[in-house]
Amino acid sequence: MKGLIAGVAVVALGLAGLIRGAVPQSAGSPSQSTSAIVVSDAWIAAPVPPTQAAAGYFTAYNSTNEAQTLLSVVTGAGESNVLHTANMSAETGGVVIPARGRLVLSPGNGHVMITQLIGTVKAGQNVSMQLTFENLPPVAVTATVYAPGEHP
Amino acid sequence: MKKFVAVIAALAALALAGCSSSHPSAASKTGLNDQAGATGKYLGFPLEPAQPRPQFTLTDTAGKPFAFGTATAGHPTLLFFGYTNCPDVCPETMADIRLALKSLPAELQKKTYVVFVSTDVKRDNAGVITKWLSYFTPDVQATYVGLRGTDDQVHAAEASAHVMLSEEDGQTHSAEVLLFGPDDYAHVAFNSSSNEQQSIAHDLKVVAG
Repeated sequence: MKGLIAGVAVVALGLAGLIRGAVPQSAGSPSQSTSAIVVSDAWIAAPVPPTQAAAGYFTAYNSTNEAQTLLSVVTGAGESNVLHTANMSAETGGVVIPARGRLVLSPGNGHVMITQLIGTVKAGQNVSMQLTFENLPPVAVTATVYAPGEHP
Repeated sequence: MKKFVAVIAALAALALAGCSSSHPSAASKTGLNDQAGATGKYLGFPLEPAQPRPQFTLTDTAGKPFAFGTATAGHPTLLFFGYTNCPDVCPETMADIRLALKSLPAELQKKTYVVFVSTDVKRDNAGVITKWLSYFTPDVQATYVGLRGTDDQVHAAEASAHVMLSEEDGQTHSAEVLLFGPDDYAHVAFNSSSNEQQSIAHDLKVVAG
């Protein structure tokens, strides 16, 4: 039920504004600019018909002097968002970003598997993405959707 | 046989990527790419020794048997194993191939085969493969072939092409794109992580002479 409400909110926002997807913001207010975690190059590869799966990518830099654990990533593109990296899958409960280290997701090197898509996800759209950490406030960014092969 | 298995294992270790998680090969892939930059002739990573064009027969999207070795003999051919529900590597790879071909002369495009073998024998039926491939073919004049088969048939094809055998319903699979030339050997391959279009275009021209 919670997922359904989030989905409805996302669709409503998508119709109303530039940001087509919003993520549920239940874990406190997200921060970005002064964040201990700096997220950059967030993007989503649009699904290729007839498949109904998109992939999310980003780079997350841990500017703190302690390792931080990324617990989950949600996006406004789909109801289901599962983080897969080279070193962890959804089942293992989180991915550790070393102190002053970087987590880079790119094709072939980890992605957020986005399924149960909300509406049509296509190139040029902007989608909200939120990263949730074990010991830090969540970080929200905007991810641009690219057609496969078009991401610079 | 033992040697053959060892070769497969080595290639698997180098080329393992796939759309699934947990592949410990990032370091090896980087090593290969670094090596490729030093050789000069190809922008992809060179295969030494060169691999002969494999002989395997699978079913095309029209339901007819397609004998890869004989049907594509003498043609520049890009061979890739993947599956349509793959969110990351497979669509990026197919898109890179399209962009590479688009940048080449029509004459070379027309000679070229692009062969996609589905590793997801359960979900990828002929209709799904046809529709998925059609996303990557606009403005390209190469011949695209989508192939499927049973688990055993696909594994046999992978073995004959010396790529990693797929696992987990095809979701973990080789991320190698093999480029066979008119001489019916693959001298170069690409790790389809991202933005390989320039390498593919460059090396297609090299092998086509």
